[in-house]
Amino acid sequence: MSGSNVWTRSRARMRLFPELMAQCSGEATAYGKCVAATTTGKQELTRNMCVKEFEALKSCFQSAAKKAVK
Amino acid sequence: MNVSVKSLRGVSRTWRSFSSRQGMNVFDRSMKRRQKDWASSLLDSSKYDYLREEVGSRVADRVYDVARTFPLALDVGCGRSHIAEHLSKEVVERLFLTDISSSSLRNRKTSDIPAQCVMADEEFLPFKENTFDLVLSSLSMHWINDLPGALRQIHQVLKPDGVFIGAMVGGETLYELRCSLQLAELEREGGFAPHISPYTAVTDLGNLLGQAGFNMLTVDIDEVQVNYPGMLEVMRDLQGMGESNCAWNRKLLLQRDTMLAAAAIYKEMYGNEDGSVPATFQILYMIGWKPHDSQAKPAKRGSANVSFADLSKIGKLQSDQ
Repeated sequence: MSGSNVWTRSRARMRLFPELMAQCSGEATAYGKCVAATTTGKQELTRNMCVKEFEALKSCFQSAAKKAVK
Repeated sequence: MNVSVKSLRGVSRTWRSFSSRQGMNVFDRSMKRRQKDWASSLLDSSKYDYLREEVGSRVADRVYDVARTFPLALDVGCGRSHIAEHLSKEVVERLFLTDISSSSLRNRKTSDIPAQCVMADEEFLPFKENTFDLVLSSLSMHWINDLPGALRQIHQVLKPDGVFIGAMVGGETLYELRCSLQLAELEREGGFAPHISPYTAVTDLGNLLGQAGFNMLTVDIDEVQVNYPGMLEVMRDLQGMGESNCAWNRKLLLQRDTMLAAAAIYKEMYGNEDGSVPATFQILYMIGWKPHDSQAKPAKRGSANVSFADLSKIGKLQSDQ
């Protein structure tokens, strides 16, 4: 496949992923700790249990992506 | 391995079970052929060869350990041929290379052993009975649907007193990736689907080889841990190796949110001090022989001429001599 299509564009976006993750390492650690805590506790992991931490991570990630595009 | 990881509640895995016939169509073989064709025709395909190189050299070590010369050998699922380059003409005189992917055979590595390439599926070997002195297989058997059947075919094409030396990925391979994706999907989507293909447990392997007719079995397990910058690099390298999932039950879409969540979980739960993340590959090595009269057999019942009671007198026997 030559030229620009949805696969080349999404692969190009994916290549930025590690750098953007590096910029949001604090939020990522917080989210990871929240999920890891549920595995050792008495509660089972259910949907949106760590939604606050995830929303923080996602917004950090999206603003880093916007900065990277500029 | 962190023991607390294994006791995670709600984190499950599927082992390959070989008791029922229904489990025999797990993988989409034509998809696997397309993945291998794509991976071997990449310009930088040698960048992803590190695992196959390492396992290929260890299989070659085991061939050298058997102090024999093999006139005719077969490499099943050879890929781009990672074992032959470590072997010499003194040990293996002629070699047949088979793989389902013609592109892998065309882009194979050179070696000084005269070789012939045959495009064939591991489950349908196109060779006569009692042909080969040695059959090798490195890192391709974990994609075979009917593993008992394939082992029986390998047993068939071997000559009596021939040996099968194989290596396959199994056990707890990629458990970090599996657990991270599972937890992320649970937290983000409320349920999870298998993303890692099911592997053979090391305890099953001995039974499989025995049922296929091999004896004098040796099975051992080796753990290779590779460090990556992050989860996405793990996935990209697996794709470059031609090891993308092709199980029929795989989920075709991984949501962006889930991927982000899984990368964060992977780094937090399994990350190393320097920021890299490990990926574990458990390699199962197996050696099995086709029965022959010259092989040592267990002694006949009632033929013992020493008693276990004499064990207590061993100290006295030694001092007498």
